[in-house]
Amino acid sequence: MTETKRFFNPVGKSVPRIDGRGLVTGESKFTYDLKFNGMLVGKMIRSPHPHAKVIRIDTTKAQQLPGVKAVVTARDTNQIKFGSNEYFFPHTVDQLALESEKVRYIGDEIGAIAAETEEIAEAALKLIEVEYEVLPAVFDVFEAIKPGAPQIHAHCRNNIGVILPVNFGNPNRGLRESDYVREDIFYSQAAAHACMETHVCIGQWETYSDKITMWISHQAPFKVREALAKCLKINLNNIRVIKMPSGGGFGGKLEMLPMDFSACLLSKKAGGVPVKMCYSRQEEFSFSRRKHNMHYKLKSGVRKDGKLMAITGEVYADGGAYCSYGPTVMAAATMRIFMVYNLEHLRITGYRVYTNKPISGAIRGFGGVQSGFSIESHMDLLAEGIGMDPVEFRLKNITGPNMVTKNKMIISSNGLKECIEAATEKSGWKQKRGKQRHLARGIGIGIAADVMGSKMYKSHESAGAIIKIEEDCSVYLFTGAADTGQGSNTALSQIAAQELGIGFERISCTAADTEITPFDTGSFASRVTFISGNAALLAARDAKKQILEIVADKHECKAQDLDIVAEEVIVKADGSVLCSFDKAVELCYSFDYGKQIIGRGSYNPKTTPIDFRTGEGNVSGSYGFEAQIVEVEVDTETGKIKILKLWDAHDVGKAINPSSVESQVEGSVVMGLGYTLFEDLEFHNGRVANASFAKYKVPRSGIIPPIETIMIETNDPQGPFGAKGMGEAALLPTAAAIANAIYDAVGIRLKELPFTPDKVIKALEEKQNHNHKDEVE
Amino acid sequence: MTTLIINKKQYQLELKGHETLLEVLRDHLGLTGTKTSCQDAECCACTVIINGKAVLACITLACDVEGAEILTIEGLARGDELHPLQTAFLEKGAVQCGFCTPGMIMASKALLDRNPQPDQQQIRDALDGNLCRCAGYSKIFEAVSYAAELMRGAQKGKEAHD
Repeated sequence: MTETKRFFNPVGKSVPRIDGRGLVTGESKFTYDLKFNGMLVGKMIRSPHPHAKVIRIDTTKAQQLPGVKAVVTARDTNQIKFGSNEYFFPHTVDQLALESEKVRYIGDEIGAIAAETEEIAEAALKLIEVEYEVLPAVFDVFEAIKPGAPQIHAHCRNNIGVILPVNFGNPNRGLRESDYVREDIFYSQAAAHACMETHVCIGQWETYSDKITMWISHQAPFKVREALAKCLKINLNNIRVIKMPSGGGFGGKLEMLPMDFSACLLSKKAGGVPVKMCYSRQEEFSFSRRKHNMHYKLKSGVRKDGKLMAITGEVYADGGAYCSYGPTVMAAATMRIFMVYNLEHLRITGYRVYTNKPISGAIRGFGGVQSGFSIESHMDLLAEGIGMDPVEFRLKNITGPNMVTKNKMIISSNGLKECIEAATEKSGWKQKRGKQRHLARGIGIGIAADVMGSKMYKSHESAGAIIKIEEDCSVYLFTGAADTGQGSNTALSQIAAQELGIGFERISCTAADTEITPFDTGSFASRVTFISGNAALLAARDAKKQILEIVADKHECKAQDLDIVAEEVIVKADGSVLCSFDKAVELCYSFDYGKQIIGRGSYNPKTTPIDFRTGEGNVSGSYGFEAQIVEVEVDTETGKIKILKLWDAHDVGKAINPSSVESQVEGSVVMGLGYTLFEDLEFHNGRVANASFAKYKVPRSGIIPPIETIMIETNDPQGPFGAKGMGEAALLPTAAAIANAIYDAVGIRLKELPFTPDKVIKALEEKQNHNHKDEVE
Repeated sequence: MTTLIINKKQYQLELKGHETLLEVLRDHLGLTGTKTSCQDAECCACTVIINGKAVLACITLACDVEGAEILTIEGLARGDELHPLQTAFLEKGAVQCGFCTPGMIMASKALLDRNPQPDQQQIRDALDGNLCRCAGYSKIFEAVSYAAELMRGAQKGKEAHD
């Protein structure tokens, strides 16, 4: 077998990354690595106060410093607001490129400076004079919603920026008809994305052509273009956003930062030279985006036979100073329950509250991680209340294939049951559950479901792709999907090669340059393999059709009777070979035909709009499912939790690239472990108190447990070759699975994340005191 | 003038006393494979090898390593031929965003050079400072073990040939 033949039919094979060589040799240029003649360095002018009126900004002295080339403030902007959920939630569009009258968190941007060097820019920042009138600030969600609390935004009297009610059935009746009802409150903390590459962009606004070019590390370059166009009042086709190789995103690089607008404004003011802006690590922790810390109050009921009757609850999320992806986060925190549990009665209301803290936004799973922890812990408590095994309880209540949920989500393929069964079998659940307490060891489960895209920020959610076949039979795939490390360039190329019937090596992938590649909403909501993958599939199909039409014309047969398999054009009926792929392409570019092969694909998933007054609607074209089981050991002396092993059974539809699937699961799970055990973005009077890797701990190599990924293939009817997205789901149930395992190990129920040793010790002591009291009584 | 020996090449540079090796590599020499992430010795993305030891370029003053043998990620492959660690990282799927990869590979190389047959714990210990936020580490450990195998194989092949 030759090297080329190895990756015929690449779908389902662990093909190495298409862009991997540049990454392992250090050759790939990331945004910060770019250098241009005359390029300036930009820095943001930030508020030192959590809440204040801006009375006066004087930039004169800074402008006079030698080496300073431009200073911009709100006066240089069009004062047009930007946001992330414009289409359905126009009132949440609440942030200005540069604030003019008021600042709402420590770090709020009121201006920017461009200078020849970083040192000069830093020195100039110190010369900026700003007069503030400091206002009372509020940092706590429950304080912020009290009457008389400082009002952060003029349009929002009680500081509740988003209310998302989900209301179905008759929850009161559901609770009445339950044999066991319980209430629980859970708390999930704030956390940071902590991408290895901090936020970075280079903006150039050419003075004469009025054209903007932006090089950026981003998950949604077309969203960058859209926001620049709107706020800077420029046509879309005069803006070129080039997504560079990006060092992680995880939702943190999904929206605009004032820095992105500022780079362009500074460039224009400095005469059109490029301006590079890059967050330091401290800025990254303090001023980018963060996870919403959430309080989750639940009251639910079950029947003795295990039937889950009703879930009711309230979610309070600390949104920080601006709305960002607030609505999407709240939707994920509430509506997701219907994807997992087959439920008649659900009433849950999400409140997203403004505070004078750094802005909460999208982070892997949106609000699904916080809800996953709360709901899945709560489910174990309900099961315990009726004396039922948590696995058995879940199997009785989960959603299944080919069903419409109470809120009209249309679920086609659904491997949740298979996931639970596979994970319990592989982990030895039956042999271990409740049987290792003498060793302080326990086993716990959590389950989850995820969307494949979410039509929440635009009217459509389409992805486009173009396939161009060159005269030497090499193939271009142009996609607007932004690979920020997840490997989408590779997966989409595998899909295209498979459909074209050619070797994977023939494809080169050009991704996410708004001037060259077709539109794509971006990398979020686990949508790329499913949606952009379908676009790549359609483009390849179109290109193939064009080739086959020419071959059919030449051979006087019908194109629909032909196919390309393993780089040969065959007659479908008998498999006989008409010619090689190379000859077919040669024919297309021959004297007689001279036809360029340019295939196009555009895909928009079949969904229905959500009614945000009730939570009804089919938000995604398909749904993914998983079950996670964790085995832990608790050190009752130190309070340390050791993860012994983790099993993640995942309904991936079809694994386009099994190694990438494993890698997504492992990466997700490790992020989940960090969040569960120690990650905690702390604030002191609105300021991030642990803005460094030394103080904000992320998982290191030492804590990584064995992780077994079990792929369940359900062949989704809508997915490209049956595939679904799966980048986020694996971290949704991790915290609950660990909490449930800790309970199994030592009998303590932790309801507040993260599970640091001090909390474990405290809970163990409380349990001991409680037992002691019981004995005395 | 300061003489730096980087990837077996000599550079004569006029350096300021406070310039770090990371700044010199990236800003003066255009060797941007070594990444800037925390600039405070907390993430090891800027790991290079100096006289056989893994060192953080962000806290190393360039003038302090005059005359030393400095190896960066750019010095690993021989022409088109990747170093076994690079091959292993690719084949084992140990690369996601790739931002931590140069540092990971350099730290791994320093390990394998002093210990050609590390066990799992030794690999974990050697990489404990190198942060990766994407891949969850397991495939990185696997890649280092595999690279060690490849390197031992190559060494045996070479001995047999000799």
